[in-house]
Amino acid sequence: MSTRRSFLGMSAGVGGAAGFAMLRPNTMHAWLNVPQTDAPLRILILGGTRFLGVAQVQYALARGHTVTLFNRGRTNTHLFPEVEKLRGDRNDDLTALQGREWDVVIDNSASVPRWVEQSAGLLRNSANQYIYVSSLSVIADNSIIGSDETTAVKQLDDPTVEQVTGGRYGGMKALCEQRAREAFGDRAMVVRPGLIVGPMDNTDRFTYWPIRIDRGGEVMAPGNPTHHVQIIDVRDLASWMVRMGEDNTSGVYNATGPASPMSMAEMLYGIRAATSANVSFTWVNADFLEQHEVRPWSHMPTWIPPREGMEGFSRVNCSKAIAAGLTFRPLAETASDTITWFKTLPAERQSEMGAGLSAEREAEVLAAWQARAG
Amino acid sequence: MSTSRRDFLHMSAAGVAGMSLAASRLELRSTHPQSALRILVLGGTGFIGPHMVRYALQRGHTVTIFNRGRSNTHLFPQVERLIGDREDNLESLKGRNWDVVIDNSATVPWWVRDTAQLLKDSVDRYLFTSTRSTYSDFTQIGLNEDSPQHDPDPSAVDERRSQGYGPNKVLCEREALRAFGDRTLIVRPGLIVGPGDNTDRFSYWPIRVDKGGEMLCPGDPENPVMFIDVRDLAEWYIHMLENSTVGIYNGLGPEAPLSFAEMIYGCRAVTSAEVSFTWIDTDFLLDRGLRPYRDFPCWMPARGDRAGFQRFDLTRPLAAGLTYRPLAVTARDTLNWHKTRPVERQATLRAGLAPEREVEILAEWHASPR
Repeated sequence: MSTRRSFLGMSAGVGGAAGFAMLRPNTMHAWLNVPQTDAPLRILILGGTRFLGVAQVQYALARGHTVTLFNRGRTNTHLFPEVEKLRGDRNDDLTALQGREWDVVIDNSASVPRWVEQSAGLLRNSANQYIYVSSLSVIADNSIIGSDETTAVKQLDDPTVEQVTGGRYGGMKALCEQRAREAFGDRAMVVRPGLIVGPMDNTDRFTYWPIRIDRGGEVMAPGNPTHHVQIIDVRDLASWMVRMGEDNTSGVYNATGPASPMSMAEMLYGIRAATSANVSFTWVNADFLEQHEVRPWSHMPTWIPPREGMEGFSRVNCSKAIAAGLTFRPLAETASDTITWFKTLPAERQSEMGAGLSAEREAEVLAAWQARAG
Repeated sequence: MSTSRRDFLHMSAAGVAGMSLAASRLELRSTHPQSALRILVLGGTGFIGPHMVRYALQRGHTVTIFNRGRSNTHLFPQVERLIGDREDNLESLKGRNWDVVIDNSATVPWWVRDTAQLLKDSVDRYLFTSTRSTYSDFTQIGLNEDSPQHDPDPSAVDERRSQGYGPNKVLCEREALRAFGDRTLIVRPGLIVGPGDNTDRFSYWPIRVDKGGEMLCPGDPENPVMFIDVRDLAEWYIHMLENSTVGIYNGLGPEAPLSFAEMIYGCRAVTSAEVSFTWIDTDFLLDRGLRPYRDFPCWMPARGDRAGFQRFDLTRPLAAGLTYRPLAVTARDTLNWHKTRPVERQATLRAGLAPEREVEILAEWHASPR
């Protein structure tokens, strides 16, 4: 009866929402049946206490690797009591990294090129491989459909300025990539994720949708149902990166999903399938949303209408990463696990989403749309 | 096969094995029944019966099954089995008492007449599994339990004359009501789907999506579709019996209207398949002799005399406690069950387009001027 008991225990917390997860009560990155590696590595993770880093650490440990974390010791300090933690600061204190050796370094936490220059420079002779987590934001021209890793990257007007702003983020990440390659050469791997989603994502940039759909009622869906969307489950990305460390892979990789193009309708209806919600969808076109100051991405998460230079934003080519072993779990699993996780959060956090529209605002815009559609 | 995919399949295989333990929301909100029921199931070894027996046992009820002892005789060794034949041998039902009888296996009215008359004084309530096909007019949207039914010739019962599936089931209902009156519970399901369904009438879709590639999707993505997961139906049956529910209820879902696109894309969400969807106009398909339901399971263009076929009003079943698993659970479990079938059975589905035919139609569609 253990299956039943654990399900009952979990469900008491999550209500009737996430039936799809009912057979995996420990959704919090439950790496089930992960085969142990034959060749354990020493992995240094810069960062490692948030979303992507946590998933990497858990997967690496499940595979049997030895993990060391380096960070300021300020975030989620309760995590991983069994893991070695080195204290320091990417900005000005790398002392703890000196005189040590690792097989793989995963750099999750740098958006300032100097940080990469310093850590990669320090570790170039004491670590075999440097995996830098960049971003698809480096892509200079988002009108190109099917950009691969050879596409031009953003350039900064003044590379010496270290302030990270929205406009400078992509250019700075591109420069970070360059610093990693300068230090590690063909021992450097650069991963460019798109929107990373799933349990423990505190930005709500995907979470909005499963939570909104699970609430039921009339859901405002943005733009055209056929508009493309790309996302990657944090666990798919994290586990693949660890395996890339095992394979000592180098080079640049776009990393988002799924493997074949997905439309907004496929995503939203797929999320619906993970719930029993009494829900309907009303698709409101991009012009109307713009007129009503409903913004892509921040108000309508994951959605970028394919126009005004953004035609290729959600159509990046990831075939290189897929050939190198990147896989994608079913969307229903991502959606269900995200709902289950979200419902474990404090009530006040649940009521304050970091992205998407408030219920009132959504109802207003829907009412205006219905009035217009007549 | 990738690691994550292996994990998922492994997890799901365990899930199928543990399915009888997987609680529904219904179970969570209702306490264990005050008193165990003695339940007689007529049939009990086909598709829907085993799900009911399993759930009834799980809830602590005592189950007796009555059938010819020909199919799935390995199921439920702990359950009392009475052997007989609904056509001409009810001997083993005589002199016994039950609280309720579930009649899943009658398609001709004289079967219901004979069992209901035999059991009316020894059983409290009679649950008859009828069908949506008893309704005679699907032109209206929002049919409910009072909508017009076929009106077959009642003399057919004594003459043992079959009048077709829907009309037969109407007479079955009447025979149940004639014997049990207000102690009768009638459920009219539509398409029942899920693990164990050997008709493949829903299974085709998750299986097809999982195969990947360019997939032919029929008609209008907004076309409505209704069906019910066999486990939702089974659990609801047992709960209604526990609650002494009587009356007539349609048995369909889901609660909120579901479009064909929502169903197909929901199936995509349980796989990691590389798949794309090509929606082909209804008339293009019909003009080529392709048949709704048979060639495209679940699909019935919502127009003309089928406008309301998949737009039933569900007020009464919802009020009577019917709940629905997420579609992803149905699709995933169906897919995993399918993969346990013999290879040759997996290769020959009993519904849906053959792969070669699908390729042909897609090619014609792409070549056609539009």
